[in-house]
Amino acid sequence: MEFQIEVNNRMIRVEEGQTLLSALRDHGFRIPTLCHMNRFSPTGACRLCVVEVDGRRDLVTSCSCPVENGMKVRTNSQRVIRARKSLVELLLSNHPDDCLYCQRNGHCELQLLAEEMNIKERKYFGQKNRQFPDYSSTSVARDPAKCILCSRCVRMCEEVQLVTAIDFISRGNRTSVNSAFSKGLNMSTCIHCGQCIQVCPTAALFDISHVEKVQGAIERKDRQVVFFISPAAISSVTEQLKLKSKHQTMPRIVAALKRIGAAKVFDLGPAIDANIIEEAKQLADRLQNNDSASMPMLSSCCPSWVKYIETFRPESLPALAQNPSPQHTFGRSLKSNHAGLVGTDREKIYSVSVMPCVANKYEASLEKNTRKGVSDVDAVLTVRELFQLLKAYGLDIPQMEDEKPDEPFNNASSAAWKYSYSGGKAEAMAYEAYRLLNNGKTDNFRFIVPKNTAGKRETRVTVGKHQLGFAWVSGIAEAEAYLHQLEEEKRNDIHYIEVMACSGGCVGGGGQPISRGFENARQRKKISIDMEKCCRYKYPSDHKASEK
Amino acid sequence: MNDDVTTIFEQFPNRRREDLIPILHGVQEIHGYLSEDVIQAVSEYLHISTNKIYGVATFYDNFRFGPVGKYHFRLCHGTACHVSGAGTLLRELEKLLKINNGETDKNGLFSLEVVSCIGACGLAPLIEVNEQYYTNMTLDGLKSLVRSIREKELSSL
Repeated sequence: MEFQIEVNNRMIRVEEGQTLLSALRDHGFRIPTLCHMNRFSPTGACRLCVVEVDGRRDLVTSCSCPVENGMKVRTNSQRVIRARKSLVELLLSNHPDDCLYCQRNGHCELQLLAEEMNIKERKYFGQKNRQFPDYSSTSVARDPAKCILCSRCVRMCEEVQLVTAIDFISRGNRTSVNSAFSKGLNMSTCIHCGQCIQVCPTAALFDISHVEKVQGAIERKDRQVVFFISPAAISSVTEQLKLKSKHQTMPRIVAALKRIGAAKVFDLGPAIDANIIEEAKQLADRLQNNDSASMPMLSSCCPSWVKYIETFRPESLPALAQNPSPQHTFGRSLKSNHAGLVGTDREKIYSVSVMPCVANKYEASLEKNTRKGVSDVDAVLTVRELFQLLKAYGLDIPQMEDEKPDEPFNNASSAAWKYSYSGGKAEAMAYEAYRLLNNGKTDNFRFIVPKNTAGKRETRVTVGKHQLGFAWVSGIAEAEAYLHQLEEEKRNDIHYIEVMACSGGCVGGGGQPISRGFENARQRKKISIDMEKCCRYKYPSDHKASEK
Repeated sequence: MNDDVTTIFEQFPNRRREDLIPILHGVQEIHGYLSEDVIQAVSEYLHISTNKIYGVATFYDNFRFGPVGKYHFRLCHGTACHVSGAGTLLRELEKLLKINNGETDKNGLFSLEVVSCIGACGLAPLIEVNEQYYTNMTLDGLKSLVRSIREKELSSL
């Protein structure tokens, strides 16, 4: 049912059941918030979204207040503006004022609000937060002193990722967001997805930076720094810089990295192709052996998902695919078979991956991925860090000249781009499995993505007499609900499930530039889909070069 | 140790979320405090994450995460005790026992905890030691109380 409410002497039409905040935002009213997240339960913790409602004595938090017929609302009365300003001033009273040295300087929501509220002097003098930062994890770092207790990360960790590695500990002014027994994130159940970093308004959560490591390696004469860049990272650079010609992003990144002293810059795409081919072989094997214990096969390309399975669902371990993520497929082959390409010994190669992911940092640090104590991937840069690195060297991607990525890894199929969003890998997998099970013939391959993917993200592919079921889910909560449903209904018509720990797949990854909402991720997906169309090969096995 | 915890679990067969706090109370009654192992056991039983349980338990003052001493001092710091000098008593007690609020001393003899109102405001300020109440406490009374405990312990050595 629709009805009208009055806002700032203007009538607006609203839908019954909406919250006041979403109705106001739909009509272009700017309401500041720190704790609100779309699609999450409202908490009303930050109280910045307060508005004045006629007939109510107190200010109302619009994020948790449903609209009512005939409501009279004022969003910018003197009382509201004063209240908001005081709230930000109070948040600042115990905040360490070290913006100049802060990770999020310039991108901080609190900083932005302080500017917006025209705060020019310190009004409340509180005791500063004195809590120690936690650098124990290999991927995510915490600085509780900068935490404003908005609970966004806590809700993300609990509601979307079902992990609850961080939660509110203690109470009152001693409250902090911390891991179990305050032991540090490395001892917690954290799956390193980095979604908490994405939602943190300040720098209370950030990634363990590898920028300085990389800079150090570049300066060393006895090291050959080799970059390899994930297609998902490229589409996100395109999206961030709003580049018109999408094809030039990669060549320009290559040129920029060469300028700062990279020996080689490769495209990660071929490793993704190899990963899909390898995983499809495993799937075909399992199908032919009728191996029901390991069905449906779960993808293993997402390190966060693998960590989740290891920690929370050990019973699903046999179903997990057995190949490492593309990053390590590439890192390992670079340091073993392909050291000659770089023209040096493998000890002298310093491999750096550029990823939209912070879990890859964790993956690179795992013991199984090291040899003689040296990881196959020496450093992992997130897209954020790539920007930081290039900025430090004074390079601007749009102004670079084009330079092709180095041979021979520059002929990935479109599957490499598909890999970056949820559902893409499942399609490529379906194709490869189809090819393997149909004696190499792929003429009748059809992969139909259902139009309404809201509830069910699965499709069937007919191979001869058999029907193969492929499904794709993103976000641990969705994956867990889907697996649970399969178990409940005792279904065995699904054979492969692609799982990505971040909502939307790698386009919404924890290492992407910080963005509110899903619009940026959607944009990145669109760019990836555009890029797919220009690839020479559609699927990994369409060309021999990728079969390393 | 696990047997004790299981007996408590048996009283809550439905494994509901709201059973958490009663279970924690029961466990603390047996063990004196909530150890990591116990929290993990509760977490497995109720299917609530360890961190969530730790968060709940740290929210309430009643839960402890370390063992208490042989003599557990609970100093009331309710309003009535506060106005009749509980703050001074706390400082004195910390000096006498050589531990801070919330701590247990090294040999496990004393532990000190400040609690909110015990409910005997007419007798303020008051201190509870191992469920024995010492009312209308003064600094001298405090000193002699601690001295008598020390002497008792020394003589029993």
